[in-house]
Amino acid sequence: MSLGQLLGLSFVQHAFYAVTAVALAAGAVGYFVVLRRQAFAAHAIGHVGFAGAAGAVLLGLSPIVGLLVFCLGAGLLIGFGGATLDDRDAVVGVTLTAALGLGVLFISLYSGYADATYSILFGQILGVTWVDVGLVTSLSMAVLLAVSLAYRPLMFVSVDAQSASARGVSTRAMSLLFMSLLAVTTVVAIQVVGVLLVFSLLVAPAAAAEALTNRPLRAMGLATVLALFSAWFGLFLGVWLGGPVSFWITALASLAYLLARLSSVQAARRSQRAVA
Amino acid sequence: MTNGAVALGARTVWRDATFELEARTITAVLGPNGAGKSTLLNAALGLVPLSEGSIEVLGAPPRRGNRRVGFMAQSRQADAMSAITGRDYVNLGFDGPRFGWGRDRSKREVVERALSLSGTTAFAAQPLKSLSGGQRQRIALAHATVFEPELLLLDEPLAGLDLAAQAEIVDLINLIRDTTGAAVIVVAHDLNPLAPIVDKVLWIARRQVRSGSVDDVVNEEVLSELYGHPIEIVVTPRGRRVIVGLEEEFAHPHPHGHDHSHEAGHEHFAEIYEEETK
Repeated sequence: MSLGQLLGLSFVQHAFYAVTAVALAAGAVGYFVVLRRQAFAAHAIGHVGFAGAAGAVLLGLSPIVGLLVFCLGAGLLIGFGGATLDDRDAVVGVTLTAALGLGVLFISLYSGYADATYSILFGQILGVTWVDVGLVTSLSMAVLLAVSLAYRPLMFVSVDAQSASARGVSTRAMSLLFMSLLAVTTVVAIQVVGVLLVFSLLVAPAAAAEALTNRPLRAMGLATVLALFSAWFGLFLGVWLGGPVSFWITALASLAYLLARLSSVQAARRSQRAVA
Repeated sequence: MTNGAVALGARTVWRDATFELEARTITAVLGPNGAGKSTLLNAALGLVPLSEGSIEVLGAPPRRGNRRVGFMAQSRQADAMSAITGRDYVNLGFDGPRFGWGRDRSKREVVERALSLSGTTAFAAQPLKSLSGGQRQRIALAHATVFEPELLLLDEPLAGLDLAAQAEIVDLINLIRDTTGAAVIVVAHDLNPLAPIVDKVLWIARRQVRSGSVDDVVNEEVLSELYGHPIEIVVTPRGRRVIVGLEEEFAHPHPHGHDHSHEAGHEHFAEIYEEETK
């Protein structure tokens, strides 16, 4: 089959629309994950999602229902308990462990769904249906809309929580809002790259963007472009050369981060030389 | 504030605080660590309710988000970030609390005015992380004064700065007061760097608050009574005050008491020594 024919297949097109929507949301939310130093929370929410998906399958429901319930629950718990930086890590850690324990229990109760487990852990973007695409797209668009509306207060609490609070922005409310957005984004990203590789879309592009520019809006746009680039070319390479799509996406996103760091180190050297 | 008190849980931070601040004056808030200096600012910001007494800010009860009150926080996450420039941070002082897509036309002009008043225009495009401590404090002052507030609350604006940078910030606070006519409250560790511009002192110790002119409060009688043990004040030929006997102020609740007491004790001497060897 030629490449053109491959890309024309309907499951490839489903995948294309899904990764596009997910990359848009992940780029924008990922910027705040990196800015707020909440990569650990993003990691935890993904793993909590695993327990939710396993539970949903056990009950005969669609995994995405379990993902949404568990990820949102964990997000709100972390957002509420860890609004201040001091106790955040502990709250995240305990939430993570408790959920993973549940996940182990659910798997032991249900025998013979290795496939489902595999696709939750590593993603199975080439298996998404039109219904999945519709769900993923609307969730991603809702996240983008919320981020664009709450952009300034989110920035404010992230860069100066005390002043923001004095100016009437509730730190706790913003923390809850952000964690719910992160939870929904994690759920849609899991559809593409799976629980274990969620960072490839949520953290790597944003971290690369942060290394390249110090203007928030530009960084957010760049993070989105890098996430889109990794997702599109990852899908393309997976279809063309074979191998898991999530591998390709992860490889490209990590490469983008590596190149960004190298170029920012070079830029710093150059400007030092200019000063000297 | 009239007979104001603040309690956090069962602990009274301070009580019987009565004072009034006038426009165009600078008030220094002094006292040991943990005495409740920042709590005083939080009460004025409406973040902490009084447990007794009453407080009025610009003729009304304090409320969060009042644009007529400017606030500079002591520690700001932004200072460690390479992801945000000084101008971005000042921009957030303008419309950071606002949700939605709208843009205010006057934003650029207002922000540039605040930057130019604080003398930060030249480095406003650099990330905060790459700036010096003094430059960051200037940016933070621009952030706090973006709306030319009538009451300006500054939490430890001189902390962690060398003497030259302290003097620059003191000059800038004075300039802001003169230009905007604000009543300024400055929380500080040491009166000396602020002494040239201070009109009034609030000294908080052992849950009590004393207020008045520098001479009314910073004298051996008042401070000895406030601390409950003899305090001596030595005035140097240049008019700087070395306060002896404060070391014991740290002896109780604070966990790092003794370390701080040595630092604080030496600070005064070190500072005068440096000044006179120049």
